[in-house]
Amino acid sequence: MAASFLQPPTGSSPQTAIHLSQGAASFLKSQRSAFTLPWPLTLFLNTDSQEKWAIYENTLLACLRTGDFDSAHVALNAMIDRFGKTNDRVVAMAGLYQEATADDKKELEEILEGYDDILKEDPTVFSIQKRRAALLKSMGRTAEAVTAVSALLELSPTDAEAWAELSDLYFSQGLLEQSIHCLEEVLVVVPNAWNMHAKLGEVTYIAANRTEAAGEQSKLLAESMRRFCRSVELCDDYLRGYYGLKLATTQLLTSLPTQKKSQQSDLPPIASVQKLNELATAKLANILRRSSSGEKGWDGYSAAELAAVRQLLDKDTQKIQR
Amino acid sequence: MSGIVEQQIHRDPALFYWILLPITVVMILTGILRHYLSTLLTSTPKKQTVAKLREQRSLMHAQQLRGNFHPISKAAFEKRKEAFIEGVKDSKFLADPGAKGQKPNPLQDPAMMDGMMGMMKGQVAMMVPQSLIMGWINAFFSGYVIMKLPFPLTPQFKQMLQAGVGTRDLDVRWVSSLSWYFLTLFGLQPVYNFILGSNNAASQMAQQMQMGQMGAGAVNPMAGAEDMDKVFNAEAENLEVVEHWYVLNGVEDRLLAKVGKF
Repeated sequence: MAASFLQPPTGSSPQTAIHLSQGAASFLKSQRSAFTLPWPLTLFLNTDSQEKWAIYENTLLACLRTGDFDSAHVALNAMIDRFGKTNDRVVAMAGLYQEATADDKKELEEILEGYDDILKEDPTVFSIQKRRAALLKSMGRTAEAVTAVSALLELSPTDAEAWAELSDLYFSQGLLEQSIHCLEEVLVVVPNAWNMHAKLGEVTYIAANRTEAAGEQSKLLAESMRRFCRSVELCDDYLRGYYGLKLATTQLLTSLPTQKKSQQSDLPPIASVQKLNELATAKLANILRRSSSGEKGWDGYSAAELAAVRQLLDKDTQKIQR
Repeated sequence: MSGIVEQQIHRDPALFYWILLPITVVMILTGILRHYLSTLLTSTPKKQTVAKLREQRSLMHAQQLRGNFHPISKAAFEKRKEAFIEGVKDSKFLADPGAKGQKPNPLQDPAMMDGMMGMMKGQVAMMVPQSLIMGWINAFFSGYVIMKLPFPLTPQFKQMLQAGVGTRDLDVRWVSSLSWYFLTLFGLQPVYNFILGSNNAASQMAQQMQMGQMGAGAVNPMAGAEDMDKVFNAEAENLEVVEHWYVLNGVEDRLLAKVGKF
């Protein structure tokens, strides 16, 4: 994937991030050394644009990620000059920079105290609330992070990002039911987010594997399968969706025939589960074949996910050979 | 017989240097001035208090739940509905549970006053330079015919192009100074976009348009000053009557029908 300054590097691969941060130094230099007019004439020229500051932000993030703290510092200072120290976003960026450059636990504690001070003054700075929760999480204080995010959501229950984060935190603590609840909240805010549908399917699948009762388990599995169906219905060739669909249907096929007829009212008929399983297998094989041959338009899949698909499909063929 | 004889008027070339050019330059400069003036005058909107923010977002959340109930199961939906209705009954979401039942006066709300002041400032920043320039042009340049358009036009344009020149038989292609002022007033937006970036406040037409929208939206802040308890109760009732359906019902058949031929 081509590295673009305009895409936030958080979701991108390490290669993209490193590519961005390598370009950072020259980009910042080009911004600084640009020919500037004397004062009254600058009023006639406006070089500000949304894109410019988006690039600054992405550069900062990429540089922090790759450890290029000098460039990050330059980018941060430019943003402080432009928007002031008290701007919500800039405050969060400055905090992020401090967190990244902190040497030991003590410094992190100090940063945390700084966040608390800011929030005491004005509890509506959402960016700092989120930073605080993220810092608590990365310091391993998950329970406190949960409290922080819950407080944020109590204040602003329409924040999909925060709901997703809370779900993640609950999931890491093994509280699957709460995690599912949070993901459902995310879907209420963004009903057509296919990745969230798939994510909910994944958590439901794990919850199904954890329950002992066979009837309950098949019900959860069916629910998870339908989530994956919805996900790939919304997004064609969504790898995670098909992967999950295949997992869920394979397990359903082993557990469904053992069910009593009376319990099957909510469950899908075996024939369609079988068909879905075949569909998922075929789609996965198709995605794998096309993207590994580097076909145009099929090169956006992450290598790790493709490897996982290969493993899953290999396991299947081995079973058939036996 | 030859075609229509074109009207020939000998203009002093000084008209170009001393009227056409000054008007254009002054208009551009006032646009830039207006842009910076309005950036200076706009006060940053006051931050909402925590309680007020929570009230608004909770209401929004309920509205979203009402609109996007389909991705969650009936049980999950019922659970959330119950929770919201419970909360409304205990007036859990209200910013000021004590003020329940009184209709607040929008004029006493300091936030409202701020908004109105902002609007007034914008109006002043728009009106003052406009009336000044209008007066300037009327005093110095009224009645001049300053340019000729390079293309023919129908007589309907006469009013638009020859304001301030009372000759009936003059060809429409001649433009008077006052009309040139109006043309630049309405038509300089692309120039400002080029100079100041696309989200500038230079053009007053854009501002007036915004005002118009404000007029339509002005109902909104007034509605915000309504009795929030009533709004929440209405929302609870709306949620009560929602007929739930689940998007996952039959999704496997839909999917198979869609891509099953694969």
